Amino acid sequence: MHEMSLVQGLLGQLHKLAREHNKEKVISVCMEIGPLSGVVIDSFQFGFDILAKDEALTRDAKLIIDSPPATYRCFGCGMEIKAEQRPESCLHCSETLFSPEGSDDLVLLRVEME
Amino acid sequence: MCDACGCDLKPEHSHDSKVIEVHQSLLAANTAMAEKNRAHIEKMGAVAINMISSPGSGKTTLLEKTIEAIGNSIRIGVIEGDIETDRDAQRIRAKGVPVIQLTTGGACHLDAAQIHKGLHLLEKEPGGAKLDLLFIENVGNLVCPATFDLGEHHRIVLVSVPEGPDKPAKYPKAFHSSQVFIISKTDLLPYFDFPVEEAKAEALQLNPNLLVMDLSATSGEGFDQWLDYLKELCENDD
Repeated sequence: MHEMSLVQGLLGQLHKLAREHNKEKVISVCMEIGPLSGVVIDSFQFGFDILAKDEALTRDAKLIIDSPPATYRCFGCGMEIKAEQRPESCLHCSETLFSPEGSDDLVLLRVEME
Repeated sequence: MCDACGCDLKPEHSHDSKVIEVHQSLLAANTAMAEKNRAHIEKMGAVAINMISSPGSGKTTLLEKTIEAIGNSIRIGVIEGDIETDRDAQRIRAKGVPVIQLTTGGACHLDAAQIHKGLHLLEKEPGGAKLDLLFIENVGNLVCPATFDLGEHHRIVLVSVPEGPDKPAKYPKAFHSSQVFIISKTDLLPYFDFPVEEAKAEALQLNPNLLVMDLSATSGEGFDQWLDYLKELCENDD
């Protein structure tokens, strides 16, 4: 549900960048969306497709989303584990509790404009 | 792959174009405002708690009973968030503490800019400028509010017994980002299949740092632990 308001924030940022760099058209937008961000990537893409069409600046823009694996820290030995899914148990100490570390941000990486 | 920006597009686009490296969080503006709110709340003398749950989990009832139990020993203020109506604020106002209602007009969560406005309004309420404890009751929603830092010091997620024990697994973000997990309406345990220990274990599996409590605001069961937690929070703040 909140993906739409996040897309609106992204479009606002694109307008600002276009003004700063004196550009008229966005060609591509690269984003990183953390797997623990609570953002549904399909919904974000859908929101972008709808809202970007409304503006000349972003009408033809492609949105490219990268979602790297999440980082978990073992509660037992402190080892950092990168995984798509929450690990069942630690490979080092067989602890089953993990704290998620970060992996919850939405980052605008780069924008190509002309 | 395009040589200019490293994206997956075919290199069909004109290379008069410019790639701008941004590397900035979409939440940066909200986070910056949340930091300002935190400083503002601390200047008011308060610790802030952001309460997140589904609609109907008993956030407002928990607040009513908490205000009754605490009396004048801790100065409480409340910011209520709802999509429409000021009904929750009316219920809290009836308990005699400063409260303001934010209505989001359809938005599914509170954000830091709304809380910024809310803090200024709360300060104008009688007794609202100096507080020990500020409760922010978020819009009833277990999904979206979890993404937005409001400037709180602690985040509490509530699940009531009728909702069922599977909420931590289904809505992990709210549990990852909270410090406290409250199982509410435990007076209804005889009527629902809610294995309390399993639900606690599942939540701790997601976030081993969670402080877990079960209570009933109606019967008062488990309330001492909750009040002790609040008192400790305020004492550590002094």
